[in-house]
Amino acid sequence: MTHHSLEFSDGTILLKGWRKGSIDKVFLDNLWTWDSRIAAWRCDASRYAEIISRWQLAEGQEGHGLYLENRVPHWTAIHWPKIELPTLRDEQHQSVAAWLDKLRGVVVMPTGTGKTEVALRIMVETKCPTLIVSPVRDLMYQWHRRILRGLGYDAGIIGDNTFNIRPVSVTTYDSASIHMPTLGNRFELLIFDECHHLPGRIRSDAARMSIATKRLGLTATPERSDGRHQDLERLIGPIVYSLSIAQVRGRSLADYDIVRIPVHLSDREQSLYDQLSRNVSQYVYARRQDAPTFTWKDLCADSAVDPESRRALNAFRKKQAIENRATEKLRVLEDLFRLHQGSPMIIFVGSNAMARDVSQRFLIPCLLSHCGKKERLDYLEGLSDHTYPAIVANQVLDEGVDLPAVKVAVVIGGMVSKKQAKQRLGRILRRQDNQRAVLYEVVCQDTTESERSRQRRDNDAYTGTRHRRL
Amino acid sequence: MLTRELAIVAYENGQAIPDRLNQQQHAGYRELAAQMLEVYRGGIGQMRRSMHRDIHAIFRRETDCPPRRIDAFCKLLDDASEFAGIPSNQASKLRMQVFRRAAGLHPLVTQADRWFENQEQDAKSRIAAELGENWSSIEQRLFGDLIEFHRLEKFNDFASPAALLSRYNVAQTQVALFDAQRMTVLATEDFKSILRYAKLARLMHTVHREPPGRYRFDFDGPSSLLHRTHRYGVAMAKFLPGLLSCRGWQLWALLHPARWQGSITLSLSANSGLTSPVPTSNEFDSDVEAAFATKWGAEPHEGWTLERETEILHAGQKVFVPDFVLRHQDGRRVLMEVIGYWTPEYLRSKLETLEVFRQHAILLAVAQSNKQHFEGQSPAVLFYKTAIKIDDVVAMVKTMSVGP
Repeated sequence: MTHHSLEFSDGTILLKGWRKGSIDKVFLDNLWTWDSRIAAWRCDASRYAEIISRWQLAEGQEGHGLYLENRVPHWTAIHWPKIELPTLRDEQHQSVAAWLDKLRGVVVMPTGTGKTEVALRIMVETKCPTLIVSPVRDLMYQWHRRILRGLGYDAGIIGDNTFNIRPVSVTTYDSASIHMPTLGNRFELLIFDECHHLPGRIRSDAARMSIATKRLGLTATPERSDGRHQDLERLIGPIVYSLSIAQVRGRSLADYDIVRIPVHLSDREQSLYDQLSRNVSQYVYARRQDAPTFTWKDLCADSAVDPESRRALNAFRKKQAIENRATEKLRVLEDLFRLHQGSPMIIFVGSNAMARDVSQRFLIPCLLSHCGKKERLDYLEGLSDHTYPAIVANQVLDEGVDLPAVKVAVVIGGMVSKKQAKQRLGRILRRQDNQRAVLYEVVCQDTTESERSRQRRDNDAYTGTRHRRL
Repeated sequence: MLTRELAIVAYENGQAIPDRLNQQQHAGYRELAAQMLEVYRGGIGQMRRSMHRDIHAIFRRETDCPPRRIDAFCKLLDDASEFAGIPSNQASKLRMQVFRRAAGLHPLVTQADRWFENQEQDAKSRIAAELGENWSSIEQRLFGDLIEFHRLEKFNDFASPAALLSRYNVAQTQVALFDAQRMTVLATEDFKSILRYAKLARLMHTVHREPPGRYRFDFDGPSSLLHRTHRYGVAMAKFLPGLLSCRGWQLWALLHPARWQGSITLSLSANSGLTSPVPTSNEFDSDVEAAFATKWGAEPHEGWTLERETEILHAGQKVFVPDFVLRHQDGRRVLMEVIGYWTPEYLRSKLETLEVFRQHAILLAVAQSNKQHFEGQSPAVLFYKTAIKIDDVVAMVKTMSVGP
């Protein structure tokens, strides 16, 4: 007798030994595709739940004469060595209950309102093999620490040159999408932290190639500028709970002020900047004489073949570098350090080079992606226990990384994005002694950067910005 | 290989045209390549960042060069190099020491005053003194573990400036394949090598016979038939250098670039002028096969002619390309596989393969030294000592009554 089996294979499920007629009796149309390369039926691993429920339905009926050996899941029950989680707030309780009702779905909560506790509580309730997927290594390690602290479980780590799979593991989006063809049948629950990162041509394989029947997405900002957030429903599930930043302002989060500080370029920088601006606009102007629709995109394309446009593009890049690195910003930063001596500060910058400049100028730690686990931990803990007065960071800290209760943050440079703005704010908005937090935004006056700042403030979190000259 | 950010590819009339340097349009590049190689040859001990600056400087006056092309050269040169930095635990230890000492002096101000007395330069000198060094030496090492500050230790030189340029051309074609969803290869020769390279790259194949004497291979991956995915594009890029070392093939890859409506084809053939960094494999796996084929010649023996690797047996993802096909004028056909001096593991997998294709008429020519593994295996085994004799082979195939 041929083998009638259901198997996991490279992020897909194979059905072997069944005829088309039998398949039609049990499954809905188009679930399976015939793979002539290996003579078996194949479908996405993510449809596992559907397959099982259809099969169970068919199995309950008598006399169909069908047989199926399910070799797909490699799941084990999980026993948490301990459960020491903080008591949940009302909105956290509601989100846990809403998710447990569906077992698949996205919880939308602003940064700083305790998404991690929600996830840990759900893990306690589900007690099943779980994979937590986060955007960056820092966050991955942070999840590892939180699981160890709260549940006493030493989770496996997949990523950052480590490949240690355990029934409960943590990983990054990149590692998950690369390794899901081999990991896809190990986990029953997937938790996507900052799940707006999931849609994407290869990244979505992290969800599609897994058989997990339970899926939780966590995010403060489900929307994506490319409109792909609609994919989240298919990959994870519908939004089951949503809490907006305005709802929690002043309750879970501290109240905050935003202070915008315009700075001026040095004379040398300003004249160089002006010269570069002229180069760019002269070039674009000249091109528009014969091609009125000439755009920035065309300039980039032309730079491949045309030395003139390459010079214009280079001029633009230098312009940007000046905006980012203006020495005036370092001077403003010095003033802010004087002003807030004694309270921990976080400085966000627009590039790694700027981060190193700030770090070398003031000898404060800079958190870049190259920092090892130990060094990062030293800086983060050092900031909270006042070992270090301030830290400077580029993109690494943009999202979700648990920062100590910081009341003062400074944004220097960086591109505009609604999502980034919200998340950066989330960093400093932790409730602490009902103290108001302050976010400084340092932008160059008379450059396109001040334009970007205006765009950035077009966002509910930024309403009430004050301007101040130092 | 290059990264996606370094790809230069034009899409014209549904065709992908990866950036390609040629002798006519890019005559000056040979000289530029020579200068680039000089930078790396003389760059031992230099920082990666400064070498990249030097490479960019070579192109300062070159009007025909997109910045990405320069960055791509840097990447290819780096790939042929070995860099080393200060071990990250050392640099990170130094950073923590410095930052902890500076914490007590925060903020380091430009000008000291009544409230803030730690002037930047003074403070830095003091910290350096506490660590028993001067500041400039600390500053140099503070971020010495970052890859842009790593120093060149070894450069595995290219054979010539032209070799660097041809590596570049192959690399741009490879990176264009990152967007490939599926790939078709039409082959008239080297079936065995092509399928082997595809397997090494972990691609799945579908084999179609296309008379006369040709095969068509479709390459993709497990989930390709469920979705339009370019997940296996990197595998296809890895497959390319192997394919380039083969003869007699044409390739069509279906690309689906991001932010591009519709699909694009990339076509290539053995005559496209790309040079493989992989050496062309020997025509024969062993001297025994070569000697036998030479001895047999092009003429028939008692009506039997000898062809080399012209048939593919396949069952699912298992493939077997016998070394020879013996074909009689009357249409009879016998496959022949030579099994020389090999490891026990090789012999075991060979026997497994033969088991899968047992319904075919296969004559095994086995080295005497392997006799014990093949006794009782199959009726059609011919043992040889140093060379395979034509008469023995003809005598054997006559007994293997196989229809056309």
